[in-house]
Amino acid sequence: MHKNKKPILLKNIRVIDASQNLDQEMNIIINNGIISYFENSKKNIPFNEKDFRSVNCKDKILSPGIFDLRVYLNETNNENVSILKNAAFKSGVLKMGILPFQKPLLDNPIMIEHLIEKTNFNNDNFFYPYGGATKELKGNEIAELGLMAEVGAIGFTDAPNCIQDSLVMRRVMSYAKMLEKPILQNPEDKSLAGLTSSNSTTIQGEMNEGEVSTRLGLVGIPSCAEVMIVERDLRLAELTGVHYHVSNVSTKETVEVIKRAKLNDIKITCDTSPPYFSLNELELSTYDTSFKLSPPLRNEEDRIAIQNAIFDDTIDVITSDHKPMSNDTKILPFTSASTGASGIETLLPLTLNLLNKSDVSMMNILKKITLNPSKLLKVEIPKIKSNEKANFIMFDPNEQYLINKDALETSPTPFHGRPVQGKNYMSMMNGEIVFDNLDLL
Amino acid sequence: MNKIHKINKIPPPIAILNSKNLLSIEGMNKLEINSLLDRADYFADLDPLKIIKTLNGYVILNVFFENSTRTRVSFELAGRRLGAEVINISVDKSSIKKGESLLDTANTLSAMKPNLLIVRHPESGAPKLFSDYLNCSIVNAGDGRHEHPTQALLDALTIRRRLGRIEGLKIAICGDILNSRVARSNIHLLTTLGVEVRCIAPPTLMPKSLKNLGVNCFNSLKDGINNVNAIMLLRLQSERMSGTESPSKREYYRFYGLDEEKLSMAHHDAVIMHPGPMNRGVEIASSLADNEDRSLIKTQVEIGVAIRMATIEAVYNAQK
Repeated sequence: MHKNKKPILLKNIRVIDASQNLDQEMNIIINNGIISYFENSKKNIPFNEKDFRSVNCKDKILSPGIFDLRVYLNETNNENVSILKNAAFKSGVLKMGILPFQKPLLDNPIMIEHLIEKTNFNNDNFFYPYGGATKELKGNEIAELGLMAEVGAIGFTDAPNCIQDSLVMRRVMSYAKMLEKPILQNPEDKSLAGLTSSNSTTIQGEMNEGEVSTRLGLVGIPSCAEVMIVERDLRLAELTGVHYHVSNVSTKETVEVIKRAKLNDIKITCDTSPPYFSLNELELSTYDTSFKLSPPLRNEEDRIAIQNAIFDDTIDVITSDHKPMSNDTKILPFTSASTGASGIETLLPLTLNLLNKSDVSMMNILKKITLNPSKLLKVEIPKIKSNEKANFIMFDPNEQYLINKDALETSPTPFHGRPVQGKNYMSMMNGEIVFDNLDLL
Repeated sequence: MNKIHKINKIPPPIAILNSKNLLSIEGMNKLEINSLLDRADYFADLDPLKIIKTLNGYVILNVFFENSTRTRVSFELAGRRLGAEVINISVDKSSIKKGESLLDTANTLSAMKPNLLIVRHPESGAPKLFSDYLNCSIVNAGDGRHEHPTQALLDALTIRRRLGRIEGLKIAICGDILNSRVARSNIHLLTTLGVEVRCIAPPTLMPKSLKNLGVNCFNSLKDGINNVNAIMLLRLQSERMSGTESPSKREYYRFYGLDEEKLSMAHHDAVIMHPGPMNRGVEIASSLADNEDRSLIKTQVEIGVAIRMATIEAVYNAQK
């Protein structure tokens, strides 16, 4: 779309690409979507600047696009796909894993193919679908994992459901191992996470069990409901040799168990999302349903443990766990309200906020949203280097602002009114500028 | 039994509320609570025919999303005694499920411009949701497992009228505390007024970190009621006594049902209370329930109207 325009010159930009272990200030020229010049900024530019659309990018960072490991699309229709794409481009997300929980479910090869076709996957390599691990994500019968892998499923999960039955889990793991795909589990022991009365009605747990749930009169989910499933699954992972991935680690105990498992020969990875290292259960004290999440927000001790686990690399990936919900399902009494919140648009700034909490390097933090998810799913992300198509995002890591729910494309956000720093300025995907806040277009 | 004689004949002023809503006892201060109790105490002794109907033209909607007879009637009577118009709306849960969201229902009701909504709802926090979106005042008449503020107020006044004071007493709350909104409101109210509160429940019905609310917790009824001045029993739902939270009715009664023998551990003139409706032979021995020297269960209902009058009047005043 910018073919008739001059090439772009980005001056003095700090390029961080963990896949090349690169962190340098560079000058870059992008000509027809291709990186045609890529040199250290100390070198003089051997061209006349007037021939370029030149931008001084001092203090801005150029990085591979974010690979958001787990995102809910809700429904494979044109509207949803385009809303999600726009929100993603704006926020610096250039690849994402699509979870099978949507209408209709991605628990069979036909639906996976449909999603790939509908989202124009073969053209832009943007949406990567997971397949359901069990039929209808009910946790009873193993789904057609082989056929789904054949048409492009990158891994398997029943998220947001947790596979409760140990035998089913073992079978799913053995299959996933054979297919060399990871199995992702949202660990929560369902029978422990709610109240069951004898007339067999189950009341789902609504928030973390503790003083706050006692005060609010909401049904508590004990934090051990998470680690119990992880401990069981680790035994099965050892038995089957599968790559086991724990989604949304939220408790101190889970962190400890995973840390120990990583010392052994078990192929285990895990992720968390910004609410679990930014917020705690006290947020719920006004019954605000934008904080109704699964797993529930835990206590402050857990939050700190999650944060530290990111710094010490126990947690491999930070994902948005993006699950947008309409107001109709959120403006309800807490018990009836839906679970989940939008996340893709706040992923980058909230992740960058971690830099203020420790002396962790920018590259290490960016790894958690770029290189690590790509390794985990064995999906290459394009490198930033000479003669490659431009595939990157450019952001200002220092720009401070307040998150405003009205400025977001998706809702609800649990972070409304929170101060953050870090804003995306440009996204280029496959040589095209897909988001531009620099007035280059 | 001696009745406390009232020397002061000047009626106490209209109770003070720092908000135009009454959503929970948690967050209320001593002054607010005592002013409500004083005013209700005055109403309780007043001949209903002599009450000046100061709330003419004030419109109250009783919106009950959950069945209730005593609380609904009590609020209705309270409103009418003050001269307000009270309209009862029992919202059938199934019609809600047919489509209209809670907020749509609320907005429809709000369009009729009521001054006060009295809300009972099976879900914790529902009255708070109403208060976030509607302009009129909201009084919580019981929400899920959260709070039932007027019940705690009437319990406190019942005790005060009988024992002459509240501060410094030892009071036990016994039963299904996990699922009880009455327990939560009572815990907040009594601890605010300086009562030593003891919560007694089997471990399966004791909520986590309850101690942090400033109470002592006991699994043994006998230990818990040692030397207490009042025992508040809570209602148990029958499904909780058949193998899920408690093994059986008879086992529950054996350990937590109040009878003469267990009562003898309490202070010699300890009183018994129950928010009703009660399960005789489960929470309480039938003979004790009917023992008028000990049981204040009937008085609680009487005082309920006075408390709700004081509440409605205070809300009306706070709106001005």
